[in-house]
Amino acid sequence: MKSLLKELCLINGVSGDEQLVRSAIMEKVKDHCDEMRTDPLGSLICFKKGKSSGKKLMVCAHMDEVGFIITHINSDGTLSFDQVGGIDPSVVIGRQVKVGNAGIQGVVGSQAVHDLSKEEREAPPKFSGMTIDIGASSKEEAEKYVSPGDCAYFSSDFLEMGSKIKSKAIDDRAGCAMMISLMQEDLPFDTYFVFNVQEEIGLRGSGASAYSVAPDFALVLEATTAADIDGVSGGKKVCCLGSGPVVSFMDRRTIYDRELYRLAFDTAMEIGVPCQTKSAVAGGNDAGAIHISGKGVRTLAVSVPCRYLHSPACVIESADLESTYALVRELAGRIPKL
Amino acid sequence: MELLGTITELAQAFGPSGCEDAAGELAKSMLEEYCSEVYISNNNVIGRFGERREGLPDLVLDAHIDQIGMIVTGISEEGFVKVDSLGGIDRRLLPTQQVVIFGKRQIPGVFSTLPPHLAQGGNKVMTFAEAAIDTGLSKEELEELVSPGDCVKFDVELKRLLGERVTCGALDDRCGVACILYALELLKGEDLGYNVTVIFSSQEEVGERGAKVGAFELAPDIAIAVDVSFAMNTGEDPKKCGELGKGPMIGVSPSLSRRISQELIACAKNAQIPFQYEVMNGMTGTNADRYSVEKGGAETCTVSIPLRNMHTPAEVIDLRDVRLSAQLLAEFIKEGRK
Repeated sequence: MKSLLKELCLINGVSGDEQLVRSAIMEKVKDHCDEMRTDPLGSLICFKKGKSSGKKLMVCAHMDEVGFIITHINSDGTLSFDQVGGIDPSVVIGRQVKVGNAGIQGVVGSQAVHDLSKEEREAPPKFSGMTIDIGASSKEEAEKYVSPGDCAYFSSDFLEMGSKIKSKAIDDRAGCAMMISLMQEDLPFDTYFVFNVQEEIGLRGSGASAYSVAPDFALVLEATTAADIDGVSGGKKVCCLGSGPVVSFMDRRTIYDRELYRLAFDTAMEIGVPCQTKSAVAGGNDAGAIHISGKGVRTLAVSVPCRYLHSPACVIESADLESTYALVRELAGRIPKL
Repeated sequence: MELLGTITELAQAFGPSGCEDAAGELAKSMLEEYCSEVYISNNNVIGRFGERREGLPDLVLDAHIDQIGMIVTGISEEGFVKVDSLGGIDRRLLPTQQVVIFGKRQIPGVFSTLPPHLAQGGNKVMTFAEAAIDTGLSKEELEELVSPGDCVKFDVELKRLLGERVTCGALDDRCGVACILYALELLKGEDLGYNVTVIFSSQEEVGERGAKVGAFELAPDIAIAVDVSFAMNTGEDPKKCGELGKGPMIGVSPSLSRRISQELIACAKNAQIPFQYEVMNGMTGTNADRYSVEKGGAETCTVSIPLRNMHTPAEVIDLRDVRLSAQLLAEFIKEGRK
């Protein structure tokens, strides 16, 4: 699972520009499903027959990652950009990035600290003060390599730190990796697998694909914010690395199905994996669009706890990925029987 | 010598102020290509170039070998590494920045950051008291590997941008070190106008302390500090900046020798080396300030390589400026005192 995650995380696919991720996934799952199609927005919808048919279950994750879009090429050859998805400018300033599908090397610069006033040094940076520098010395030179509308990506390696993993795009290639693994197994029930686009700009892809599939149940696989870091105590941690899959009762977009919520904890206990809930109503994911699509879908999200989401350095615990997968695999065999 | 390779090795070497050992040893081995007698004293790497000739003035070429970094102050209860700064760090870019800690072995890590729900409106830049490095290791594992006083640097690889531009951390002032080495390459076998000593000095970033004792030890007649200065970039004031690719910035300042400044400018003009003025109104903030007043004083000047995003892991230089600066130094040294 770890090597699959690594391969997926290192592919670049900002919202609206997911085709490289989709092609890689199609290559991996084409021999493991009975139907496969791409919908008009670009989401990949797969159907795999199981040993029997139960209620209609859709397992899904999103392919897109947060990143940047080039808005303007400046006269000095630098590139103005905007964020795609929610990104803290502090994790962008001073970072290496790749621009466009050709992966042009760039770096995000800003005014030198020496030239900032005392107040400016203590003020968080803003995207408006940053440009991407690809080394071009004029607009004309830059235009040979980049066009407005090209995307840019965090350039960050996949690194094992003790038992933990650091990478960009773990949100939500972790979900994609679990889905691919599940599709490669023999399943007890017929299952739809949907790899969605455009989650990060407002749950855009999942509403359309959920309408097309029209499932009875949806199981959303995600990575969710863990704040178990230095100086944060109690409930403010939200969830913790090493404490297993995160199953939330409610976030900013969804009140989750109570029966599915209980089923997740009961199942985790039965199969002997840890499981935790979020100690705060925070965040949101594709469940928000899915559970109110069509006539309504009974929905649950199971997430890998992840520090520093939406940064070049998302950090997860390897064991959480395994235990989340174990729980998801078991739930896929139980939910269609409800 | 191959300039890009030399700069890459130097810029990726470890050497925060006070822990210059690895970068110093590397620079020493490089300097030994040109100097018969090279030694390290107070972490200053010192070499005599060419034969000593009676009656010639003593000239020192100085570039600092240290880089900005951090020093470990402790390990927190939660298993995060606490640090303070070595030199002027732009704290705005710390969140999720990748670092390497030089403990009993090299330990990778990332600065942790609060997620949005805890960031209290996000209107504050983290202090070093709040900053903490996430290594993925437990408190117990860390206590075996990391001790207070161990040094930390930003972990970044040198990358090529378009043309001859490159980005990395620590180009301040490893590109100055490379520039001096390249000047020696140009001077091999040439008749010199000075008795030349090279010093790659320690602890510049914490207040030019290596140069203070180096200047006492060497007591030259003339000293040239080869350092970096501000290159024009988004948000910078063009009146205070040089430009990338337009050649060395020759210092002119009340604290520098006006005669040396003028000789350097004349040299550049004669040899048709493009150059830029760097006019200051007092101290230069470089090692030149130390040589000027150590012992009985010396005539000093600065030759600066323009650099963007100073003191960040995203520094950018143009290799042409390093080559042109080296040519200028070589011409000046061949010319000698009239």
